[in-house]
Amino acid sequence: MHKGLWLKGWLITALLSFSVPSALAHNVVGGVYAIGNQIEGEVGFSNGDMAAEGTQITVTDRQGNTLGLVATDSEGLFVFTAAQRIDHQFFANLSSGHVLEMVLPADELPDDLPGGDALPSEAKRAISTPLAYSGDQIALQQMIEKAVAKQVKPLRKEIAEYKEKASLQDIIGGIGYIFGLCGIGIWWRQRQLEKQQSSIAKQGQG
Amino acid sequence: MHIVDGALAVPVLAVGAALTVAGVALGLKRMDYDHLPQVGVLSAAFFIASYIHLPIGFSSVHLILNGLIGLALGWAAFPALLVALFLQAVFFGFGGFLVLGVNAVNIALPAVMVYYLCGHGISASSPRVAAIWGAIGGAGSIVLTTIMVAFSLMLSGEAFLLAAKATFVAHIPVMIVEGGVTAAAVLLLRKVKPEFLHIKDETDYA
Repeated sequence: MHKGLWLKGWLITALLSFSVPSALAHNVVGGVYAIGNQIEGEVGFSNGDMAAEGTQITVTDRQGNTLGLVATDSEGLFVFTAAQRIDHQFFANLSSGHVLEMVLPADELPDDLPGGDALPSEAKRAISTPLAYSGDQIALQQMIEKAVAKQVKPLRKEIAEYKEKASLQDIIGGIGYIFGLCGIGIWWRQRQLEKQQSSIAKQGQG
Repeated sequence: MHIVDGALAVPVLAVGAALTVAGVALGLKRMDYDHLPQVGVLSAAFFIASYIHLPIGFSSVHLILNGLIGLALGWAAFPALLVALFLQAVFFGFGGFLVLGVNAVNIALPAVMVYYLCGHGISASSPRVAAIWGAIGGAGSIVLTTIMVAFSLMLSGEAFLLAAKATFVAHIPVMIVEGGVTAAAVLLLRKVKPEFLHIKDETDYA
């Protein structure tokens, strides 16, 4: 009788999970990286599910001024074209209290964008590019940047996943702390009891 | 279920922290110190439960177990869950330190409510009735938690119905699994260790 009930429960669960958007209690993870003046980013959950299509990402500067709004595609990816060489902050809300804030520092953006506070762009160009680039070279540079970005992307993803994974040490460590706390509680309790008993014994003597 | 840092407004965080302090104080006062190891074991179970994702379809769920913890511990669920939530934040990066108070209330208060609502039901003489009350407790604690999560988000500016619906729908599989697990645990505990569930009378359950 009970077995039949369990089976039904599991079956319903399995069926439901196909229709339910997964926004369960997993961590929100994501990353942003610059490819030229394009900022690419992704948001998702630590179990590998990506953010729902059309999730709004708010882009702001350090002061909180909105620079723009972008939406994620079906794979949780989004692209923002940077117009200024400043720190970009990305804020995503995946509902149920799952929020994520990501920052793309200004120095990952190309030097020729306006803005930035370290050096005036003239001086910067003088340091980094003593020779003026011809059109071909600029195109080549962009191609290299794109190719490198493509190669690095899976590594970035893997590192992000790796960071999310807790090791056996973490699990055993956590359990150890809990049992240790219990031990302290029991020891403290024992001491209280002993004190009570000794004071009773003293009263009995006196 | 873990709300992350940055999703909630400061007053909500403060109220959550205050409620948690009150709950923990009450829990420590009411706790039966002879059962401290039991508190530790359930705290450890909760700590691990959120980390083990059971694959269902192409998504995954994890157990929360606050219903079972509430049935077994009553008010002592507050200290047990607070410790486990803190260690989850430290080791797994679930939730955060600022929202610890809110998360603890959202998970521990339903546990205490279930203790009062279903505690009598699980000691019913018929195992079937007891199992049904256990299932209600297991699923009900998740329902209450989703409502509280949505409420915390609403107080921080999100639309209540929208947040509640999203969180509720996403947790339907968890409710079903949790109901089944809690009912099974209640049945098992009644047979092997009835004092775990504060069932004191010597009725023959077999």
